[in-house]
Amino acid sequence: MKRNGIGALVIVPLLSIIISFLIGCMIIAALGANPADAMRYLLKGSFGNMRNIGTTLSRATPLIFTTLCACFAYRCGVFNLGGEGQFIIGAIVACYIATKAPFTGFPAIVLCALAGAAGGGLWAAIAGVLKVWRGQNEMIITIMLNYVATLLMGVVYTNWLRDGSVPQTVAVPDETQLASFFGLRATVAFPVAVIAGIVLFYFLFYTSSGFQLRAVGLNMTAAKVNGFNVKRYLLMSFIVSGAIAGLGGALELLGTQLRLINGFAAGYGFDGVAMALIASLHPLAGIIVAIFFAALRVGSTTMQTATGVPTSVSDIIQALVIVFTVAGMAMVKLPEFKNWFARRARKEV
Amino acid sequence: MAVGSPQTEVLRMEHITKKFGSVYANRDINFDVRAGEVHTLLGENGAGKSTLMNVLFGLYQPTEGDIYVRGQKVKIESPSQAVKLGIGMVHQHFMLVEAMTVFENIILGDTRSKGIFIDRNARKEEILELSRKYGLDADLDHPITELAVGAQQRVEILKALYRGCDVLVLDEPTAALTDQEAEGLFEIMNKLKQEGKSVIFISHKMREVLRVSDRITILRAGQTVETVNIGEVSGEELANRMIGRELKPSQYVKSDSSGEIVAALDHVSYHKSSKHNGLNDVSLKVHRGEIVGIAGVDGNGQSQLAMLLTGNIAPEEGAMDLKNSKVTRFDPNGFIQENVSHIPEDRNKAGLVGNMSVADNLVLKSTRDKRFSDGNGMHLKKKAIRSYALEMQEKYDIRCSSVEQESRNLSGGNQQKVILARELEASPDLLVAVHPTRGLDIGATRFIHDTVIMQRDMGCGVLLISADFDEILEVSDRILVMFEGQIMGEYSGKNPPIDEISLAMAGK
Repeated sequence: MKRNGIGALVIVPLLSIIISFLIGCMIIAALGANPADAMRYLLKGSFGNMRNIGTTLSRATPLIFTTLCACFAYRCGVFNLGGEGQFIIGAIVACYIATKAPFTGFPAIVLCALAGAAGGGLWAAIAGVLKVWRGQNEMIITIMLNYVATLLMGVVYTNWLRDGSVPQTVAVPDETQLASFFGLRATVAFPVAVIAGIVLFYFLFYTSSGFQLRAVGLNMTAAKVNGFNVKRYLLMSFIVSGAIAGLGGALELLGTQLRLINGFAAGYGFDGVAMALIASLHPLAGIIVAIFFAALRVGSTTMQTATGVPTSVSDIIQALVIVFTVAGMAMVKLPEFKNWFARRARKEV
Repeated sequence: MAVGSPQTEVLRMEHITKKFGSVYANRDINFDVRAGEVHTLLGENGAGKSTLMNVLFGLYQPTEGDIYVRGQKVKIESPSQAVKLGIGMVHQHFMLVEAMTVFENIILGDTRSKGIFIDRNARKEEILELSRKYGLDADLDHPITELAVGAQQRVEILKALYRGCDVLVLDEPTAALTDQEAEGLFEIMNKLKQEGKSVIFISHKMREVLRVSDRITILRAGQTVETVNIGEVSGEELANRMIGRELKPSQYVKSDSSGEIVAALDHVSYHKSSKHNGLNDVSLKVHRGEIVGIAGVDGNGQSQLAMLLTGNIAPEEGAMDLKNSKVTRFDPNGFIQENVSHIPEDRNKAGLVGNMSVADNLVLKSTRDKRFSDGNGMHLKKKAIRSYALEMQEKYDIRCSSVEQESRNLSGGNQQKVILARELEASPDLLVAVHPTRGLDIGATRFIHDTVIMQRDMGCGVLLISADFDEILEVSDRILVMFEGQIMGEYSGKNPPIDEISLAMAGK
C-alpha cells in the first residue's frame, strides 16, 4: 500500500516530465528545428560546464527557498500564497542593513540573513493572525500582501534608498556580498538553501512537533480533539514559512541581485507553489524540482542562441509539467484508477 | 390482497456474481421477493448486502447472473431504469434537498410531465392520496430541514411510492429512529404489505428483523447462506449463521461500584435554548469501575455532553469536577493530561488522521513520550513506533495489510480498534465513548464491548453514549436518558425498566 502510494508520487511527475518534453520536441520540430539538437543545447546550457552549472544553481537558489516556504505551510494546511511578498520583505530588510549598517562583512551578512528571515516571518504573521484569530482566508490576504510588498519595494528603490538618478537601490557593499561557492557563479546561498531543506525534512518527519504539524494539516478536527494546540501550529507554519522566504530574499539580494530593482523576485512565489505541489510537499524533492526548473530556464537561452528555438518553448515545457503533474496526481486518486491499480497488483502476486 | 397473491414472485436475482478484480463481492447469490412480503437481507458489514442492492438498483453491473422482474429477464443499467421497473430505494443517508419542501422533494426528478409547467394541485392531490393510503402523514409544504428524522424517512418512502415502486428497498431504516418512530415505520411496512407491495429490509438488529420479516436471506462473505421463513429459526441461531460461528450470548456482569467519583457535572448548561445541540441543567456523576450509559435519540445534546467531558467546549453555566478538583480550563490537552480518553463520535473526522498510517495514529497523542522519541520529541524513534504498532495490531486484532497502511483505507471496525487501542493504552481514569460500535458488525462490536468492560473492571469510569438502545442495555451499569439537552431520568442497569426508558427517550 505504502509502496504504491510513494510510487505514484514519483512516477507521476517523472511521466509528466517525459510527456512534456515529447510535446516540447514536437513543437520544436514544427518550428523547423531539430529536436535532438535543441535538447542537447538545452542540457549543455544548463549543465554543460562548471560555469553553466553555477548559473543553474544560482537561479535555483531563490526558487528552492520559495518552494520550501510553500511545502512547509501546506503541510500544516495553510495555503500561504505570499512567498513572493515575504521574499521581497526579507530582501528589503537585508538591503537596509547592508547599506546602512556601520559594519560590513560577515557580521553584516549574518545580521541581514536573520533580520530578513524575521521580516519575512512577520510579514506572513499578519496573514497568520488574521487567519487564526479572525478566520480570514489566508490565500486572499497573502496574495494581497504580495502587492503591498512589491509596492513597498517600489517606494524603497525609487525614494528611500534610491541610487542617484536610476530607479534602483544602491548596491550592497562588496564586503557584505556573499562569497561564491566552489568558484561557481552560485553563492553560499545555495548550500544554505539545501541545508534549510534538510532541516525542514528532519523537522517534519523526525520530530514530534513536525508530526503534530502534519496531523493538523491533514485533519484539523482530529488534531484538536487529540489535544494538539492547533492555533499555535497554524501560526507557527505561517511564521516559519514566511521566514524561509524572507531568508531566501535576503540571500538573493546579498548573493545575486545586489540591489533592489523593478521586477525583483517577480513570480518566485507562485513558482514555489507549483514546484512544491510537483514535489508532493516533500522538502528534499522540492530542492530537486527547483533545480530542474532552473535548468530549463537557464538552458533555454543557449538553446535559442544555438538553434533558434525560442526560449518560450522552455516556458511551454515548464507549464506542461505543472499541468500534467497536477492532473496526474488527481487521476491516481480516482477510485477507478485505484481499483485498476489494485487489480494489477493482485495479478502480480 | 389488492395486487397479486402472496406467492406471486415479483423479483428474482439468479446466480448473481459481482467481482471487483479478483475479489468476489457477491458470489452466486440467489434471492427472490414475493408480492406482499417483507424480505430481510441479513449479514455483517462486508457480507455483500450493499453490493447486491447496488446491482439491483443498476449502480453496478453483475459479472454473472440474471435479474427477473415479474418473470421478465431484465438488464438494469441505471437507477432510473430500476425506478421504471418499479424498484425504489430509501438509502441509509437520505437523498433529500434540505432547503426544498416535502412536495418539491417528492416531485423532484419525476419525468412524467411532458410540458414545462407543473400542475401543482393535481400532483398534490395524488401525493395526499398515497399518503392516506399508506398512513404516511407528511406536511407537503414544510421544508425538509424542519422535519424530524422519522418524518424525513416517510418523505423518502412517499417519493419512492409516488414514482410507482412495487419493491421498496429500506437500507438500515431504523438506525436513526427512536423506538416509537421505528414502530411507526413497521406499521407503514405492514400497510405496504397489505397493498401487495414488497419490502426488502436491510438490518442487523436482530430484534426488529424477527419482528417484521416474512422471510430472511442470510448473506455471509458474499454468498447466500440460506433463505428461511420467519419462525423457523431463533434469533440466536440466525446470528450464528450470519457470522458463521457460535456466538455465546453476551451476559456482562453489571457492577454497582460506588467508588471514587472521576467526573461530575453540576447543573451544567451549554446553548440552553437549543433543543438538539445544547445541554440544559445537566448533573451527573461517573464513578470508577462503572459504565454510565446515556440513552437517547441522536441529536439531543449527547454530542455536546461528550465534547464537554473531553474539554472540547466549556460550559456556559455550572461546574465540572474531574477527580475531585474543579476544572478551570477547558481544553482537550488538559483533559488528556488528566487521563481522560475519548472515543469520538465521528471516527474519521475527529478520531483518526486518515492520511496517516495506522502506526502514526496509534501514537498520535504520545509522540513526546520517552518510548517513542528522544529529547522530548526531538527525534522520533521510528523503529520503536513500528514495533509498538505491531504489538497493538496483535493485541487489538487490527486487521490491516501493514501498520504503514493509511488508516482511512481500513474498514470501520478496524478504524475503531485503532482508536480504542490508542485511547485505552493510556489507562484512562475516564473514558468517554460516543457511538463506539456504530456501523460495526457483530464481531467487532463484541470485541469493543469486551474491551470496554475490561477497562471498567480495571477501575476506569466509562461514560457510554449510544443511540443503540440494545447496546446501552447490554453494557451499562447505570442508565441516564437524555432528551432535548436534559437528563430525563436515571435507571439501574440491572433489570432496567425498558418501557419506562423508551418513554423517557421520547420525552415523556
